[in-house]
Amino acid sequence: MAMKYLKDEKPRKFRGTGVIKPLWTVLKHMFKTTIHRPVTILYPYEKEWVPDNYRGRPGLRFDRCVGCGICVRMCPTTCIKLVDVEDDDGNTVKRPQVNVGRCMMCGYCAEYCPMDAMTTTPDYELAEFTREDLVYGPRRLHFEMTTEMMEVPMEEHLPSNVAKGIMDKPVAFYNTDKPVLSKEDCIGCSKCEKVCPTNAIKMVVIGQNERGRDIKIPEIDNSKCICCENCVLNCPKDALHIEEVL
Amino acid sequence: MMKGPELDKMWITMGPQHPFSHGLWTLRVQVDGEIVVDAEPEIGYLHRGWEKECENRIYPKIIPMADRLCYSASMTWSHLYCKVVEEALDVELPDRARYLRVVADEICRIQSHLMWLAAVGTDLGNLTVFLWCLREREFFLDLNVRLCGQRLTTNYPRIGGVRNDMPYYFERDCMRAVERFEKALWEIIAITDESSLFVNRMKGTGILTREQVANLGITGPAMRGTGVDFDIRRDDPYAAYGEIDFEVPVLKDGDSYSRFRVRIEEMFQSCEIIRQAMAKLETIPKTHPYRIKVPRAVPEGTHVTRIEDPRGEGLMYLVSDGTDKPYRLKVRSPVFVNVSAAKPLVMGARVADIPAVMAMIDMCLGETDR
Amino acid sequence: MGYSGLLEWVKFNNPMDNAYYPYDVYNLPYDAGAKLWELLGGLLGWLINLLVPGNRLSTWLISDAVVNAFAIIFLAVILFAVGFVVNLTMIWEERKVLGRMMDRRGTKIGPLGYFQCLGDGLKTFMKENVAPADKDKKIYWWALSLVIGSSVLIACMVPLSHRWFVVDYSTGLLLIFGIFALAPFFILCAGWAQNNKYSLLGGIRAATLMISYEIPMLILLASVVLMAGSFNINDIVNAQFDTMWYIVPQFIGFIVFVVCAIAESERVPFDLAEAEAELVEGWQTEYAGMKWGLIMLGDYFRGYTACALIVILYLGGWMLPGIGATAVPELVFLLKIFAVFFIFIWARASLPRVRIDQILNIGWKRLMPLSVVNLCIVLLLKMGGVF
Repeated sequence: MAMKYLKDEKPRKFRGTGVIKPLWTVLKHMFKTTIHRPVTILYPYEKEWVPDNYRGRPGLRFDRCVGCGICVRMCPTTCIKLVDVEDDDGNTVKRPQVNVGRCMMCGYCAEYCPMDAMTTTPDYELAEFTREDLVYGPRRLHFEMTTEMMEVPMEEHLPSNVAKGIMDKPVAFYNTDKPVLSKEDCIGCSKCEKVCPTNAIKMVVIGQNERGRDIKIPEIDNSKCICCENCVLNCPKDALHIEEVL
Repeated sequence: MMKGPELDKMWITMGPQHPFSHGLWTLRVQVDGEIVVDAEPEIGYLHRGWEKECENRIYPKIIPMADRLCYSASMTWSHLYCKVVEEALDVELPDRARYLRVVADEICRIQSHLMWLAAVGTDLGNLTVFLWCLREREFFLDLNVRLCGQRLTTNYPRIGGVRNDMPYYFERDCMRAVERFEKALWEIIAITDESSLFVNRMKGTGILTREQVANLGITGPAMRGTGVDFDIRRDDPYAAYGEIDFEVPVLKDGDSYSRFRVRIEEMFQSCEIIRQAMAKLETIPKTHPYRIKVPRAVPEGTHVTRIEDPRGEGLMYLVSDGTDKPYRLKVRSPVFVNVSAAKPLVMGARVADIPAVMAMIDMCLGETDR
Repeated sequence: MGYSGLLEWVKFNNPMDNAYYPYDVYNLPYDAGAKLWELLGGLLGWLINLLVPGNRLSTWLISDAVVNAFAIIFLAVILFAVGFVVNLTMIWEERKVLGRMMDRRGTKIGPLGYFQCLGDGLKTFMKENVAPADKDKKIYWWALSLVIGSSVLIACMVPLSHRWFVVDYSTGLLLIFGIFALAPFFILCAGWAQNNKYSLLGGIRAATLMISYEIPMLILLASVVLMAGSFNINDIVNAQFDTMWYIVPQFIGFIVFVVCAIAESERVPFDLAEAEAELVEGWQTEYAGMKWGLIMLGDYFRGYTACALIVILYLGGWMLPGIGATAVPELVFLLKIFAVFFIFIWARASLPRVRIDQILNIGWKRLMPLSVVNLCIVLLLKMGGVF
């Protein structure tokens, strides 16, 4: 490896001849650019091509979203909020609303979304007349041409797998990390069951206490769980915690 | 000791809103006619409590914030942040991630240096250099878009790897951009380095000695232009730099012109690094991991790490308390240190030299004031 | 009173016969003005004479004095208008060519972007008229007016051809150079009056620069005059037609004169008076809004004058070699001016700004001896009998 510029690989004929070389270069360049199309893009009329994975404003596929709130927690600028909206069947559900005026377009919501409901979109023309107009409700977040690239797949590899030499088993945290109950702390309040967005938690009766009431503990269906941590965060006794698989 | 007004000398305030200050900072100079006899940099206009903000955020959320430390070197700053957390977690990166980070870093270095060269053009009064450089920079920003989805705020490195693998045809696009750029850079050299007016503006101005560089703690191209042969990429290799063969340009003169030449050569070297890293990436199977799953909480301890930013040595110091948020994150910005050399740089120079000399520091106020 | 028919009222006299005709030779704009007045005034006089036969107003309307007065005003207006349009064209040329050299599009408004300058003018015109509070009021306004005024004045004095001029050829060249040299003084005053350190430095720089570049320019003028044997612009142009363009024997002089002209019109390699990198806008810093717009216009008027001087002194003026004055010598002259202005733009696109000490070094140590060398060459040629 050698230096290209400092070692003078390219012969420089005009060295030390004052301003002849720059003048000549610019003149040559002028003829070249007169023949070719200018590189400037006349922006409002012509637009530059953007790839699918361009991180513009967030998009939402309403029917896929379960309202788990991972995007709300992962947003660095806290511009996402869960709001109540009616879904297609008329039920009131919680869906994210994005304040695009505060959004920093990092794409974390799409990356961390376990349902691939939040996406990035190549939509970057977001100017509005008022700040209120910049708040995108769940329905307005819909983007017509959502492609696979916009879902931002999360393909992490477990260090244990890598150590074993398994190199082609990508996982995501929402498939591996699961909440675990420490039974002695549980008071059976069934709050976790209520907040679980995927109905993965069912309270089951494991016996009866001395007063004859049912003792309930949550039973977690790991195939349904998306590791949204709602149960962990809402547990009044901190009886649940996320067990990370590494 | 006030001795009454010195009428033959006057203070000129350059900045914070002055065409020469790239960003919000002030250089107060005292001039005797056209000669600068005293100078004093003032920074802090852009302070936004970055380090304090980090203490309230979980680790992954700081990556996009680290992007915003510097508008043109976002990749190296988020890389640096990920690197310090990885060291705290004691994670070993997979090969693909290491090479992808090298490619991303060098793309960032080239576009940052091009932004600098463009600014040198306007500071010396030639707009053609500015526009040609920005035109070339556009190709590297396009590579950023393809790779990370954004032009400047890349948000690409992740703790334990990178965000995504190379998109389709990225390798081809990258090679094309690099090849095109090397040709175009010779053209830019033809109107800067081979123009005696340009060279005369830079030669012999802003001279720093090795002692001054050591005492002031100046790093990066400004240091290498003074004859100090040190580059973290080579001497303390991180990511995959240890496996890549490249030269570190060093010049002895210590004036603006040698800093200029060091930076130009660094761009060529970056092209070479991209080529080698791309060739290596081809040998690693596409299915191999590029991102390792890491625990959310960082064990207790203090960690410090450094990286070769386009402007010098970036350093981050992390104190973790065992939770998923950092206890303290300190940033050592290269420009913050380099700007302290403003006074020795401009002393004795002419007013017209000030932009030309300070341009070689490559000011970036986002990381200076934090 | 022999005026009976319309044709006797509108006679289209030869303007040279006018008792008040101010020149020795034929002047096209004056002639056009006189003819226009004869048409308008003659028609008016004829109509009035129809209503009130034998009145004295009608005959006064077509008298020599009135025709002359109208023609002079028309001359002034048309010369300024042509100069203004040529300036707009030069600005347009600069922006378009500069755009091509920098790989961008240049202006886009109107046909080929020609109307952009008008839009910019309108924009600066609508700006608020801001002036610093602590300015030296009289000098602030007077220096500004004189800088712009002198620039426009010399630009209008440039003869476009043997029939398109405003001052006599014999004194024109000296007058142009004289007023050209006045500007540094006004700029220095303007820089002082604004009570701003940037403009003071800019004013001092401008004065230093212009004074040191006047001298090689005047030496070069002397060599051209020596070669042509006359101060008369017409003679210089004709002498070049008779022998050859002076760019051939005085190539050194041509190069030096172009450099000096760029410096005199404060354009980019030598625009250190308004060096926007270090002195925000130099001596124009505190002139906001339309004042700045007019200063820019004045700058281009000076650039136009400098180009015109180069064309007159070195490129054969309005004559084409072998053809002589074509049907429209003015157009030939303007095309040559645009070609010379292309050199200015080219230098602007490819060169950085020069530092003040370097610029003075170039001026005194390079251009000054070169111009003397050029003078010696001219002397040798003249003594050798070549010219």
